[in-house]
Amino acid sequence: MTEVIRLTGVGRSFPGDPPVHVLAGVELTVRRGDYVGIVGPSGSGKSTLLNVLGLLDRPDTGSYLLEGAETTALGDRQRTALRGARIGFVFQSFHLMDYRTVEENVMLGGLYTGLTRTQRRDRAAEALDRVAMSHRRTFLPTRLSGGERQRVAIARALIGAPALLLCDEPTGNLDSVTTGAVLDLFDELRANGTTLLVITHDDTVAGRADRRIRLRDGRPVPVAAGAPR
Amino acid sequence: MSRTGVRLRDLLGEALGGIGSRPARTALTVLGTVLGIGTLVTTLGVSATAGNQIAGRFDAATATEVTVTVAVPGAVGRAALGNLRRLNGVTAASGYSRSRKGDELPVRSTLLRDPSRAALRKVPVIGTDTAFPAAARAAVATGRFFDQGHLDRRDRVAVLGTEAARQLGVTRVGNQPAVFVDDQAFTVIGILGTSGRTDQALVNNAVVLPWTTAERTVRAGPVDTVLVTTALGAAPLIAAQAPVALSPNDPLALQVSAPPDPDSLRAGVAQDVSGMLLVLGLVSLVVGALGIANVTLVTVLERTAEIGLRRALGARRRHIAAQFLAESMIVGLLGGIVGASTGILAVVVISVVRDWTPVIDGTLAAGAPLTGALVGLVAGLYPASRAAALQPAEALRGPA
Ligand SMILES: Nc1ncnc2c1ncn2[C@@H]1O[C@H](COP(=O)(O)OP(=O)(O)O)[C@@H](O)[C@H]1O
Ligand SMILES: [Mg+2]
Repeated sequence: MTEVIRLTGVGRSFPGDPPVHVLAGVELTVRRGDYVGIVGPSGSGKSTLLNVLGLLDRPDTGSYLLEGAETTALGDRQRTALRGARIGFVFQSFHLMDYRTVEENVMLGGLYTGLTRTQRRDRAAEALDRVAMSHRRTFLPTRLSGGERQRVAIARALIGAPALLLCDEPTGNLDSVTTGAVLDLFDELRANGTTLLVITHDDTVAGRADRRIRLRDGRPVPVAAGAPR
Repeated sequence: MSRTGVRLRDLLGEALGGIGSRPARTALTVLGTVLGIGTLVTTLGVSATAGNQIAGRFDAATATEVTVTVAVPGAVGRAALGNLRRLNGVTAASGYSRSRKGDELPVRSTLLRDPSRAALRKVPVIGTDTAFPAAARAAVATGRFFDQGHLDRRDRVAVLGTEAARQLGVTRVGNQPAVFVDDQAFTVIGILGTSGRTDQALVNNAVVLPWTTAERTVRAGPVDTVLVTTALGAAPLIAAQAPVALSPNDPLALQVSAPPDPDSLRAGVAQDVSGMLLVLGLVSLVVGALGIANVTLVTVLERTAEIGLRRALGARRRHIAAQFLAESMIVGLLGGIVGASTGILAVVVISVVRDWTPVIDGTLAAGAPLTGALVGLVAGLYPASRAAALQPAEALRGPA
C-alpha cells in the first residue's frame, strides 16, 4: 500500500445564510514519502482541508481513504484512535503547554496511543534528537525561540511514528531565518521517508515541496513545478 | 482505560500538571472546600468531645445502679428479692421499708453529757436485710452490720447512717451505746460510711434496723424500695427485668429508675451541640462545590485549545472528561485534607482550652478527605462533560 491519502469528491460546507461551500469535489492522492505543499490565499479552505485529512472534521460528501481504509463511515472512537496512531499535527501556533517542560510536551504525543511512560520518554529523547532540541529537554517553552518551539512541536508529532505529518502554516509565526531551519528539518524528514503535507500561504515554503497544489474555488489545482506563482 | 491505553498514573499526572499550572487559582478554589470540610470536622469533633465529657461524668458506679420504688404496698415480698439476685448482672440487691408509712421517728442517744446532742431528733428509720451495705454502696465504717442471726432472732440492734451517727453523737460502738427509737432501746453495733449512691441521701441520715425487728418495733411495712447494683453496663437490662422478677403478678406496681445510658447521653449532647453548625458546614461545602464547578468551567473554556490538541493527539472524549474530573476531584481532595487537618487541630485546641480529652473519630478523620474528593468529583461533572463535548477542529481554534 503506497497510497496514504485518497480523497474522492470530498465536499465540506458550513451552515450560514447562504451556506459557505468551502470544499467541493476535491480529488487528491498522496503517496508514501510524498512531500506536498498546499497553497492558497487566506480563506481559501486550506485549514478546512487539513481538518478533514486529519480526521478532526468530517466531509459532508465524498470518500476519504487513509492508508486504503475508508474513514468517512467510522465512528468517533475509531477516527480518534486512527488520528492518534497514524497522523501527526504541526500547527501555526505550536500548541505547546507553557507550564510543561519540552520533554513533557513531547511525551504528550504518545499519551493516548497506549505507550508506557518509559516508552514515551525514550521516544521523546529520540524525537528531540531528530529535531536537534535535546539540549533544551528541561526548558519551558516560554524560554524558547519561535523556531525552537516549532521544532519541539514537530518532535511531539513524530513520537508516534505517524504515516502522515500534517502541517498547517508551520512557519506562519516564524521569521525567515527560523523558517529556513524548520524547512531544512522537513527536507531531512522527507529524506528519511516521512510523508509530509504542508499547508501555507507562502510560496517560498511551498516551493520546497516536491509537489504543489493550489486551492481555487474549493478545488485543488496542480501547480507545474518551477512555475512562478 | 485499557487498549487505547491511558494509565491511571499518567492521567493523574496530567491532572496534577493542569492544577499545578495555576497554583494561586487552585489555592483559592481549594479554600471553599477547606471551609466546608473544616467546619464539619470541627463541629462533629467538638460535639463528640463535649458529649464524651458530659457522659464521662457519669462514672462507672453511677452506670451500675438501679432503684425500684414499690408504688403498691405489698407488691414485693422479701422472697422475691431472691429472684432478683439470681438475675445475671446483679451484684447486690436489698429491699428496705420505712417505718410507719415513711414518718421520721424521734430518736435520742444515751449520751447525756452533751444535752444538746442528746435531744430528740426526727430521723428516718428503715428495716432491711443483710445485703443493704452492698446495695446502698455504704461500707461499714465502724463495728459491723447485722447478720442473718440478728434477723432470725429479731434482735434489737441498730446500725447508724454516717450523718445520723454524727447527729446522735455516736462515734464508737465498742462500749455498746444505745439509741432510743420511739422510746425503745436498740444497741448500736455499727456505723456506715457515706453512701456512694447519689440518689440515696436517706441512707446517710437513717437508723437502720433488721427488717424483722423493725416490723415489730416501729411497724415498718412491706418492702417499699429495692436498691440494686449491677455489673458494668448491665443497669439498663436489669432495669427492664427487675419488675417481672420482683412482682411477677403486677410488674406495673413498680417504678424503676436507672441512670441514662451513657451512649444515648453522648449522642444526645452531640445532637444538641452540632445541629446548627452542621448545617453551616454543609452550606459551606455546597458553596465550595459551586466554587470548584465554576473555576473548572472557566478552566475548560480557557484551555479549549489544549483540549483540541489532546483530541488531535488521539484523546477520546472520555479521556478529556476523565482529566477534568480528576482535576476537580484532586482540588476537592486537597480541600478535604486541609479542611480535616484544620478541623482536627481546632478540636484539639478547643479541648486543650476547655481541659477536655479530644475525641476524634477515625471514620471522621478518614471520611473528610474522601468527602472532599466526592464533592470535587460531583462539581466537575458538568465542566468535564462540556470539555468532552467540544469538537476537535473547533477546539483547536480556541484560546490557548
Ligand atoms: N466552522 C466554520 N463555520 C463556518 N465557516 C467556517 C468554519 N470554518 C471555516 N469556515 C469558513 O471557511 C472558509 C475557509 O476557512 P479556512 O479553511 O480556515 O481557510 P484558510 O485556512 O485557507 O485560511 C472561510 O471563509 C471561513 O470563514
Ligand atoms: Mg488556515
